[in-house]
Amino acid sequence: MYLEIKELSKSFGERKIVDRLSFTLEKGELMCILGSSGCGKTTTLNMIGGFLTADSGRIYLDGEDITDLPPEERPVATVFQSYALFPHMTVMENVTYGLKFKKIKKSEARERGLKYLRMTGMTEYADVSVQSLSGGQQQRVALSRALVTEPKLCLLDEPFSNLDASLRERLRFELKKLQRELGMTMLFVTHDQEEAMILSDRMAVMDSGVFVQCDEPRNIYKAPASDFVRDFLKPDRILFSEDGSIMKKISE
Amino acid sequence: MKFGSSEKAKVIRGKVSSDTFFRVFSERADRIVCYGLLGLILLFILYPMVCIFIRSLMGEAGITFGHYAEVWGKYREYLFNSVAVGVSTAVLCTLISVCTALFIYTRNGKLKLFLLGVILVSMVAPPFVSSLAYIQLYGRRGWITYRLLGLSLNPYNAVGVVLMQSISFVPMNALFLLGLLARIDTSSLKAARDLGAGPSEVLRDIILPLLKPGIYVTLLLSFVRSLADFGTPVIIGGRFSTIASEIYLKIVGYSDLETASAMNMFLLVPSIAFFFLYRHLMEKTGMLSDSQRASSEPFSLGLSKCRLMGAAVAAAALLFFAVMILQYICIFASGFMKRRGHGYVFTMEYFEELMRYDLSTMTRSVIYALIVALVGTFFAILFAYFTEWRRLKGRSFFDCLVTIPYMIPGTCFGIGYILAFNHEPLKLTGTGIIVIANMIFKQLPTSTKLCTAAISQIPRAQEYAVRDLGGGRFSVLRDVILPGLRPAFFGSFSYNFSTAMTTAGAVIFLINPGKKLAVFKLFDAVYSGEYAVASLISMLIIVIVLVVEGLVYLLSLKGEKRNVS
Repeated sequence: MYLEIKELSKSFGERKIVDRLSFTLEKGELMCILGSSGCGKTTTLNMIGGFLTADSGRIYLDGEDITDLPPEERPVATVFQSYALFPHMTVMENVTYGLKFKKIKKSEARERGLKYLRMTGMTEYADVSVQSLSGGQQQRVALSRALVTEPKLCLLDEPFSNLDASLRERLRFELKKLQRELGMTMLFVTHDQEEAMILSDRMAVMDSGVFVQCDEPRNIYKAPASDFVRDFLKPDRILFSEDGSIMKKISE
Repeated sequence: MKFGSSEKAKVIRGKVSSDTFFRVFSERADRIVCYGLLGLILLFILYPMVCIFIRSLMGEAGITFGHYAEVWGKYREYLFNSVAVGVSTAVLCTLISVCTALFIYTRNGKLKLFLLGVILVSMVAPPFVSSLAYIQLYGRRGWITYRLLGLSLNPYNAVGVVLMQSISFVPMNALFLLGLLARIDTSSLKAARDLGAGPSEVLRDIILPLLKPGIYVTLLLSFVRSLADFGTPVIIGGRFSTIASEIYLKIVGYSDLETASAMNMFLLVPSIAFFFLYRHLMEKTGMLSDSQRASSEPFSLGLSKCRLMGAAVAAAALLFFAVMILQYICIFASGFMKRRGHGYVFTMEYFEELMRYDLSTMTRSVIYALIVALVGTFFAILFAYFTEWRRLKGRSFFDCLVTIPYMIPGTCFGIGYILAFNHEPLKLTGTGIIVIANMIFKQLPTSTKLCTAAISQIPRAQEYAVRDLGGGRFSVLRDVILPGLRPAFFGSFSYNFSTAMTTAGAVIFLINPGKKLAVFKLFDAVYSGEYAVASLISMLIIVIVLVVEGLVYLLSLKGEKRNVS
């Protein structure tokens, strides 16, 4: 077990957002947490990233207990829905920002920055201001920025939901390819079932703060564990092609 | 200027509607209203400034630069004083403002509300309140310096001026900076933490650089405000004078309009230059709100974990709030406490005295302020409608012209009005109209900005929908634009009312001695040492403004509720 979440809970006031959630993730695995808004998926991500303190429960990463570490000391990097680039910096400054804190020399940082920009196809924009980039380009930069620090775990919070459909599709495949090449462990939050289907090694359906089912996506579609999962995914109305993308939706 | 002519082509079936009625008469009425508005703007903004310029060149025999030479020769020292005070105030005030804004930004819950409350009260407090408290606490017979510490210090000097100006400009600046901070995408702060930056690095690498254009704006505005401020140097400058306070004395004491005009040009020119710099900087602050996707979920940045920088920010902010609270306690105490023997007792004596002699002044202030609030907001809505919605030709020129009074020193704007309107056919001096007009146009920049921002939020498609469904231009105005302007109306009304109640700069030269306003009673009272009366007037102004703003707020809520249900 590379990442282990144990009995994690979080309430806001009376409302239980995450309720004694436990799961594990192997090294190099990509898991999607699929759920509708308010199910607790982003809260879970925020606790793993260190932006929220859990009420109870532990988080272990690579054998180390990271529950009480502040975000800057966790070997975790996040890609945000809003890209969250620093608008007053260039692409390269954004990408190498995290290396500053690893005491890496400027010239070496630039080397590494270029390497990761090449992976996302953004090398030629290295010295451009991030504000002049399109949404898709910005998200590529954000991905490079997260990966360049070589984190043990990469968190992605609905990273493609602000992009249009065709771009979203392209970036999904690029992400999957990159993740395989780097052997990066990733936790990906989304409400889009096609996205979860394509990307996941394993997929978790989340509702009311717990995983209602967690398995390989195919197995979930073949055998939904409960009525909720069946209603949510409507597996009998969707045909998937080999790579996981939706081939046909059967309407009622 | 071009008006749409699509109406003519439109066929209206059925009975005569308000749109048809409006259309038949509107072509002309529309033009009259539009040209009338633009004419008023030229008359009450551009013309007075031209008058100052002309008068400053007027000699006994034609055009002369003699007044400029005289000012440069005789008043150079005051010019340098103005610049020195301006720079010191700008730097000190910006430092405190940034710290205060950051401190409030990083607080949560009730404390944050309380701090915002203090800032809001200070926003509506009349000018000179800080000076008034300062004299009473640290003056020759000050409660702290004399009675507590047994010292007799002379508080009337340049340091006092810089301190008081800085303190009184902080609330506005802090609120402006807070507005910018609230627009920062909090996930970019999270991202920085995520990439290894601790709280102090987030402050240094992300928040402060993003705030930079705002910090420049604050420096600039504080400098220009300090240049224009004559009240503080007159009250606590002692023998120290600035160009603004000399202008005040020149006019009030000697009625020397030529020299005063030339002196004003020394203020006007840098102010207008700074105005263009200001516009440029304000565009840059747009960077923060670039993305609509920006998340603004609360992100707590522990100042206590920001080491030295955090401690300095918290210390400066707490000092500022302590001074503010002390100031209001002092004002309250001096209005309602009376010395008896070795102690103080509560008394209504001063209050009753005030009610007996000065109630009419207060009433006049409120009436003027209400007129200014209504008419000013009406003008602002019209202006925003014509420039932003109808996109008249020449809109950038008028937009710029309307914004200029924001930066013009009050002394200039006041003297410009005296020069422009003291002879036939437009003899307005001595009337209430000139005072009200001056307030309206001095405040027009902010009210139009509120209304323009609101109008630009209205989707153009709504107009097309109304036209499509058979409504004319009048229906668009009634059903789309006015409802969309609702929040801006309340905002502009509140702003105009509170500013009209507390403004002192320009109007002081226009007021008829027989028809004083509360702020000038306050100024006189502070100047002549009647601190109890001054404190009570200040409090009364604060209470009235807060009550009116509260009522306006309730009124705006009432409408909201109806919209939701």
